[in-house]
Amino acid sequence: MASHSSIRTMMSPLLASFRSLALTPASSNVPRTTSLLNSSTRAFSASPNVSFRGGPGGGGGAKKGNSKSKKGGPAKDPRIGLIRYYLQHPQTPRPLRFSRTRALRHWTIHRAWMLARRKKLEAEERELYRMYQSMHSACEELRLLDAPGTKDEGRLYRIAMEKKGIFGHGGVPIEYARMQTDTPGAEAWNHGWTR
Amino acid sequence: MSTSQKAVRPLARCLRSLQSQRQSANNFRTLSSSARCNVEAVVDSTPEKPIFDPETVTSIKGEKALMKSGILPIGSRRRRAAIKSSDNIPFEQLPYLCFQEARKVLQEDREEKLKLIATERLRISNMLARDPSTFKGGVLEKETKLSSMRRYLEWLKIQADINDPLIKKRFEDGEGDMNKPIYRYLADRKWREYQRKIIVQRIEQFGIVPDFLPHFEPTAEVQLAFKNRNVQPGEYIDSRVSEVAPRLKVQVFNKGERLVTVVVIDGDVPDAEKDRFGTRSHFIATDIPLSPTDTSIPLSKVTKEQLVQPWLPPFAQKGSPYHRLAVFVLEQQPGQPKVEAEKWAERDNFFLKSFIGKTRMTPIGFNMFRATWDDGTAGVMERASIEGADIEFKRKKVVALKPKQKARGWEARHASDKYKSLRR
Repeated sequence: MASHSSIRTMMSPLLASFRSLALTPASSNVPRTTSLLNSSTRAFSASPNVSFRGGPGGGGGAKKGNSKSKKGGPAKDPRIGLIRYYLQHPQTPRPLRFSRTRALRHWTIHRAWMLARRKKLEAEERELYRMYQSMHSACEELRLLDAPGTKDEGRLYRIAMEKKGIFGHGGVPIEYARMQTDTPGAEAWNHGWTR
Repeated sequence: MSTSQKAVRPLARCLRSLQSQRQSANNFRTLSSSARCNVEAVVDSTPEKPIFDPETVTSIKGEKALMKSGILPIGSRRRRAAIKSSDNIPFEQLPYLCFQEARKVLQEDREEKLKLIATERLRISNMLARDPSTFKGGVLEKETKLSSMRRYLEWLKIQADINDPLIKKRFEDGEGDMNKPIYRYLADRKWREYQRKIIVQRIEQFGIVPDFLPHFEPTAEVQLAFKNRNVQPGEYIDSRVSEVAPRLKVQVFNKGERLVTVVVIDGDVPDAEKDRFGTRSHFIATDIPLSPTDTSIPLSKVTKEQLVQPWLPPFAQKGSPYHRLAVFVLEQQPGQPKVEAEKWAERDNFFLKSFIGKTRMTPIGFNMFRATWDDGTAGVMERASIEGADIEFKRKKVVALKPKQKARGWEARHASDKYKSLRR
């Protein structure tokens, strides 16, 4: 219960602001959701021990929170009350429902989209693989090539495998620009530095 | 609205629907108002008695007239009005841009799959024509390769149709043709989602697997019904209901005709002399033809040649714990010898494992119900001329070897009824 109350103290200003923003401000009483809550059977709670008794103010967790109701009974989880309050409020938009044909059309489009996406991904992968393979075979070709004159075999392959200039011409990897440390330096950037 | 207009309205509607059908076949333009001109041409023809369509009737008068003639209007009035005012464009021609583009993508994919199917068929026929000696592994390798190619072909067949919305719709409406692989695949998937899980749970919780069979994986759906009483797996069935043989609905998900054997076994027959439980077979019938399309097996209508043991009504004597009545569907090997009725006439101590071992069948489907002693059991037993309705089983009183100890401590102090609620 301590965790509930801490959550509640954390959330209450937020909720108050949200309520004043989104819904018509209910000054002191619990808004009109009670009748709606009584009639509905939709249970969004995941905790089985809280039995929701549809008395007046049963869902008024937003207002009453974890204080015990006057009739007695176990205190309700305020989170459940909050969820019910906002999900079943008349200003909450209704859930999206499709007609039969519309659902089928939606499904068709969804399937086509998944198919197209998968095909694109597979084509990209295939292209990458093809490029790698062609690079590999080119290198293999170089390795087996006889060099002209007194030059030794596979000379061109060795030259191709050299990693010269991969950091720019005459460059060094950025890792060597500063001594590698576990933490950033005390002075992040020396602005006054000149050559 | 003038009377003449009122009178001619159904006729005009009739014409309009005709026209809209023609229109939808040609193009998707539904908003044109000019095409109505030929409606006026027939206004002065003689009005006839209005015929109301249950799909499109919206007026209260029309609904009443329909209901008087015994036809209920379909759906809500709002839905009917929507249907009336719309052209009956077939689903695949609905003029939504994204939907049509999606259909194009799916159709393209289907064409590819059909091409793959054609090449795979060709490859299989080539493989069949090849001499097995040309393979390194001989006949075995050829068979393995062929079976894997066939599996791939089946997969391709399913993949070609799985994205079709109309197939999905037809399957959901229960109009799928079970001869086609795609519908069998969808039905299998649906069965595995829920019904099979229930059956597997029953197999576990009622100890079917060690008690009746050493291992068992159901692959066919079996539904059980006594007359019009559908049986949920593991339900208690009144003995009067189960007096007549049930009707089975067995759905298999692989293609082809086959012969099956149906066995019903009671696994909890009390044996007081040996102080244990035995088994008893209540029904055996063999050589029952079964295919994905023809699924119904009424056990009361099996022929005399098929019958090995006729239906014995399940009964549980008074005091015995519930009896598990297991219904097994066993698939026979093609061309296997017939099960001899004389050999399997003994009902008591029927062991399914030895039956399967001797007849070389494979269990494919399972369902079960339970029986207990109830008001009708004595009558059922009398009608079936089974003895022992007057027997009542009682637990044997086990005398403790140690003398009972006097209560001491907390128990002695709380011995009075005042603390009854505290006692366990």
